[in-house]
Amino acid sequence: MKVARWKLLLPLAVLAVGSTIATSGALATTAQTSEVRVAIMTDCKGAFAFGYEVDTAGTIAAFAQYAGAKPKNKKKPSAGMTGGTAGGKRLNLVGIGCGDETPALALKETRRLMNQLGADVMIGPLSGDEAVAIANWAKQNPQKTVIIGTAGSQDPTMQIAPKNLFRYHGDGAQWNAGLGEIVYKRLGWRTAALIGDDYSFPWTSAAGIIADFCGIGGKITKRVWTPPTGGDYAPFIRQLPRPNQVDGYFWLVGGANTSAALTAFEQAYGPVNARQHSGNLFLYFLGANTTVAPRLVGAYMGGFGTFQTGGLKTPQARAYVRNAGKWFTGQNVNDGFFYNYWNAAWALVQGLNKSNGQVGAALQRALPRSIKPGFQVANNGVLRLDSRRQAIQDQYPLQITKATGTGTVTTTIAGYVPNVDQTFGGYFGPSKKAPGRSVPACTRRKLPWQGKIKVVKNGVITNQVIK
Amino acid sequence: MRLGSTKTVTERAIGLGALVLAVLAPLIFSDYFLNSILTQGLILGIGAASLIFLSAYGGMISLAQAGLMGIAGYALANMVTQRVPGGETKGLLLGWDPTLSLVLVILFTTGVGLVFGAVASRSFGIYFLMLTLTYTVIAFLFVGSVTLIGGFSPVAGVDEYTPGFIGDIVNDRQRLYFIALISAVGVYLLIRYLVRTPFGISLQGIRDEPVRMASLGYNVAFHRTLAFGIGSLVAGIGGVLYAWWFGQLSPTIMGLDATIQLLVIAVIGGLRRIEGAWLGAIAFLVINNEVTNRIPASGLPVIGGTFNTVIGVIFLAIVIVSPDGLMGLWDRLWSIAGRNRPPRGSADAQPATEASG
Repeated sequence: MKVARWKLLLPLAVLAVGSTIATSGALATTAQTSEVRVAIMTDCKGAFAFGYEVDTAGTIAAFAQYAGAKPKNKKKPSAGMTGGTAGGKRLNLVGIGCGDETPALALKETRRLMNQLGADVMIGPLSGDEAVAIANWAKQNPQKTVIIGTAGSQDPTMQIAPKNLFRYHGDGAQWNAGLGEIVYKRLGWRTAALIGDDYSFPWTSAAGIIADFCGIGGKITKRVWTPPTGGDYAPFIRQLPRPNQVDGYFWLVGGANTSAALTAFEQAYGPVNARQHSGNLFLYFLGANTTVAPRLVGAYMGGFGTFQTGGLKTPQARAYVRNAGKWFTGQNVNDGFFYNYWNAAWALVQGLNKSNGQVGAALQRALPRSIKPGFQVANNGVLRLDSRRQAIQDQYPLQITKATGTGTVTTTIAGYVPNVDQTFGGYFGPSKKAPGRSVPACTRRKLPWQGKIKVVKNGVITNQVIK
Repeated sequence: MRLGSTKTVTERAIGLGALVLAVLAPLIFSDYFLNSILTQGLILGIGAASLIFLSAYGGMISLAQAGLMGIAGYALANMVTQRVPGGETKGLLLGWDPTLSLVLVILFTTGVGLVFGAVASRSFGIYFLMLTLTYTVIAFLFVGSVTLIGGFSPVAGVDEYTPGFIGDIVNDRQRLYFIALISAVGVYLLIRYLVRTPFGISLQGIRDEPVRMASLGYNVAFHRTLAFGIGSLVAGIGGVLYAWWFGQLSPTIMGLDATIQLLVIAVIGGLRRIEGAWLGAIAFLVINNEVTNRIPASGLPVIGGTFNTVIGVIFLAIVIVSPDGLMGLWDRLWSIAGRNRPPRGSADAQPATEASG
């Protein structure tokens, strides 16, 4: 058989070049001690792919604001940064991890960033299950430091809680604090069903709603969990009680899937009545502002403890918006993804300044146990970490509204819940089971903020409590 | 010395050299490369070897191997992990003895494989392919949906509960590398031995002429079932090692992507020769790693893709240039040199030739 010479030479040439390139990175290298190697872990694939630029923008903007770094491209945060020092050491952004919300890829990317590229500190990940995987990884790698970007599962800082893992924002449950009480009091809900994706973040998110709603006397009559891989929602919608059998529904279906699930609901039970629907941040954020929120104007929802527009009118909030907004064009600094990565990076700069650029255990000791993020009001604007290095943060339940004049669908702050801790005053705990399909149980219980949620009007917290 | 045996001698010399290099690898390569490329490559190579064994000697291209690896991994994870403060939060957390669990897992995976094989043994071609893909999809959805044994969140800490003779693989990753290396060599020798046994010879006969073999009195379905069971045993070994390597298990290790990954590895390495499994796995991982490091996640400016684009182009190139993968390229090298020209269409016959000789 005559074989064309190019057919042999071409692949051999490719192999030779490939091997040379590969081997150049395979041999052991020594890290510079005059620098701190930092990595960002976020998603560039899957339902949260949009987070790639937003998360990177939040991180680099904080490095620019507090460590003197300069973004390479104001329109494209992932282009990276130049300069930047903290604790006398140069900040070297060695890589940006590209996850797809799955734990397996998050773990591979973490190993690549931390072990191959030699990062000392990682800011991230973005999503709940990723954080569970990385918390377990961090437990086995105590010399590395992880500051969670914006992942909301409970386990990383509750049941797993390695000493080298920090989270300067709430978990999914904290992000829904106060929501159950608001729909109970304002909409008169006494019974509700919930539907959500079948993984750790929606479980945690649901746990916050259940704790709040059941705590004040409501009943969850049905919990339906859908595969996070999406697909046909009709069979799951049919498992929900009909609209005349329940006062309302809590939605915890994630990302772009919320719209499909809501459409399946409309096909099964007719047009939705916004007063009968509530849910977590998936009702407005992650692109749902154009697909879901317009169908649910008037509905109450959880969030990140941030606001899309028309935020708090406090000096601290204004200063944050002003500072964070000057580094990139086209970024909404009110977005929870930007805000949470910003705070993580800012805390890292504070920690490095205190540790004189030392990493590992020294940095873990030096990382601040309290910061002053833009949207914190309680304790004179100071957000504290608990003993498991988890934020105790203020929370703001939102209402989907139409902006006067433009008619744009937006959110307004419906209430102010101060100092929401991860345990909900003991409802959750490190020795208790992590949230799951049937955890926690629906029980009446007095939560610390019950009956104390303040009304917020035009961005100003009033003394009036929600009735 | 005949030219044919020159090739054999050369291959054995290269094989020996590769083995020496593998043994010395911890002294040469960085920890990351050793752990994430070589160890993982050896493990995925075992999985791909189970696929190539079924394909090259049984004529069965199975898409169930990633699923079987996942089944082994999940079985192990649920058996060995236990609830401890600040520890694992998912899975059954049975806390069984790791050595006993290891034996049970291998038996369980082989048993599952025999059942799968028995059902699929009378199917050929595209029907066999679809059936085996169904097994993987069922396994993926099962572990994802039954949150009691896992769900989509990871079951963690698997690497902390290893048998005494395996030792601490969390802090000593070189140990895991050598365990993977020994396992890979063992699997390779096992397959080389099996294909030379009467069972192996008859399996190759069934691959080539199932009707004729049936008329000669061979039980075709039984042989195919048994081969599938052996493939499952090998995949089970790979699955256990993969669980130890990952430390945490989530359903994506046995999803559609993982199935395609194993197939791509086998095709890159070469679907006709067992050695191709490890060659393909390491090539795949090196390409993956380098592309991820060097190409921004926002994509290449021209073709708009990332790793999947690059690996897709390489896959296409290999299919066009050398359908038998890198090992086929090696065979062509000898062929073009005119030293050892195999007869036309010899790829199918090659394993049988090896077996007879």
